[in-house]
Amino acid sequence: MTVLSKKKSLRYNRSETRAAWILLLPSVIGLICITYLPMIASFALSLFSWNGLGEMKYLGLENYVRLFTRDTKFYGSLLTTLEYAGISVIGSVIYSMIIALLLNRKVPARGFFRAVFYLPYVLPALAVYLGWKWLYDYNHGFFNYLIKLSGGTSVKFLDSSGMVTPSLALIAVWLSGNLIVIFLAGLQNVPRSYHEAAEIDGANAWQRFWKITIPCMTPIIFYNLLMSLVSNLQVITPALSLTKGGPGTGSYFMCYMLYTQAFKSHKYGYGSAVAVILFLIIAVFTGLLFGTSKSWIFYRGDDRE
Amino acid sequence: MSMHVINTRSRNRMASKQRRGRTANTLSFLLLIVLGLVVMFPIYWIFRSSLMSNGELYAYPPAFVPPAWRFENYAATLESFEYLKFLGNTMTILVPAVTGAVLTATMGGYAFARLRFRGKKFLFTLCVGSMLLPSMVTLIPLFVAWSKLGLVNTYWPLILPHFCGGGAFNIFLIRQFVKTVPRELDEAATIDGCGYFRTLIYIIIPAIKVAMIVVGLLKFIELWNDLLQQVTYITRRDRYTLALGLNIFRGSFNDDWSSIMCATCLSFIPGIVFYLIGQKYFVEGIVLTGLKD
Repeated sequence: MTVLSKKKSLRYNRSETRAAWILLLPSVIGLICITYLPMIASFALSLFSWNGLGEMKYLGLENYVRLFTRDTKFYGSLLTTLEYAGISVIGSVIYSMIIALLLNRKVPARGFFRAVFYLPYVLPALAVYLGWKWLYDYNHGFFNYLIKLSGGTSVKFLDSSGMVTPSLALIAVWLSGNLIVIFLAGLQNVPRSYHEAAEIDGANAWQRFWKITIPCMTPIIFYNLLMSLVSNLQVITPALSLTKGGPGTGSYFMCYMLYTQAFKSHKYGYGSAVAVILFLIIAVFTGLLFGTSKSWIFYRGDDRE
Repeated sequence: MSMHVINTRSRNRMASKQRRGRTANTLSFLLLIVLGLVVMFPIYWIFRSSLMSNGELYAYPPAFVPPAWRFENYAATLESFEYLKFLGNTMTILVPAVTGAVLTATMGGYAFARLRFRGKKFLFTLCVGSMLLPSMVTLIPLFVAWSKLGLVNTYWPLILPHFCGGGAFNIFLIRQFVKTVPRELDEAATIDGCGYFRTLIYIIIPAIKVAMIVVGLLKFIELWNDLLQQVTYITRRDRYTLALGLNIFRGSFNDDWSSIMCATCLSFIPGIVFYLIGQKYFVEGIVLTGLKD
């Protein structure tokens, strides 16, 4: 019996293979034509000077040299992107985790609350940023009203290079309702028996939270950290819709730099060089997360299928 | 006697634990109310601003409730903000794109979950790996490719890519769902003479309808929120989507916050409606996939 099934597993059924490739054809085309080939093309393009129409001129690494040594806005862009991603990733993971923990308790109207915290995520981005611009308004905005009410002086949330990055990152935290749902799903998978066993052993709620809930949640925390890092390092919408990169380089995110270099200044090669650096930054962070994951992610034995 | 003492003691402990649990739940509930109000506040403020005149908006201190509910603001805004046309354009992109994503992700997810073929592991790794690749890096080459094809300023670059598997995450999600369908069902279908395609259509799809709805909703939100692709590919005004239209409208009504907030609220509506319809699927879907592995 085992011999038979082993033999069977070595051979592939031809009609099954054909069906699989037909079903996967769109996905394969997608992976090749809209993911991997363009990715390679970006690397290639970054070695050229090209305005999109005329001749392409091979430059070698000249675009990179220029970025690192002569572009006055590049380091600003880099720092802004890292600051934004740092605040929004940490902020949204903590915020969503807290909300998910509260929602995981036996409280009335859970469905309603879940809807409330998820709602910002489904609103169209541009409208959200417009609405927040009004809330952030220097003269008539709600936040400055609160500040004045408590005796402070008005803050230029979006019009000062120091405040614009954290102000936009706060909106990202507000928008992170999707993380809550994923955390909540994770919390519901934490086995009750673990809690019960610990309770019998005399562990209090605080101990149970740190010794059971958090360890069981580490795979989900990892997933959320990773996904929100990858997406927040690629931030562009607030700059596109509101701040246009300014003031200074306060919202000159790397993606916005890439976008303006390519589509406004028609420097496709230079823009691609920015894209490649962004790719490398994301690769480094992803690598770091994966590299450290073994030391802090707890896999329950019974999860392994 | 001692038995009795222990019993009372443990009963007391149980009671106090229950009481503590109840206090914690009450506190959580109160905290949720406060946080919920904070999170909802920006939306309320935007809505309230849309019902006030600019004079009222610029008054100090600001009114928390509009002094008069000026619903006529909406009528005035709709005269210069071509809402229905922009909404129609947006749907012209979204409906085919979402349909394409759901169909092709289902096909791919089924193949990955059930069928055995050479190169499956490699292909699956490529697919899951692409989830981590920054899509921004493909922006410039894809734009160059679409412009070589002469399709910039049409909706094709915004629709066609979604007919290519609908994104690695969605393929993965469908795969996870298909794996929860008992294999016996497939086998029974095979015995009855169903091929792989008919098994997909008659057995798998009915069983994973929820997942397909989830993929559709997630895709809808993703595209609905995506300003970048629309800004990149659409520059002709008659092809403008809701987001692009709102952007132009904002530009021409610089300080008229009352009208801008009306237009903003109008753009909120479709998102909210879709969410209310699909709400229960979001949560159900994500819980069921068991993202743990």
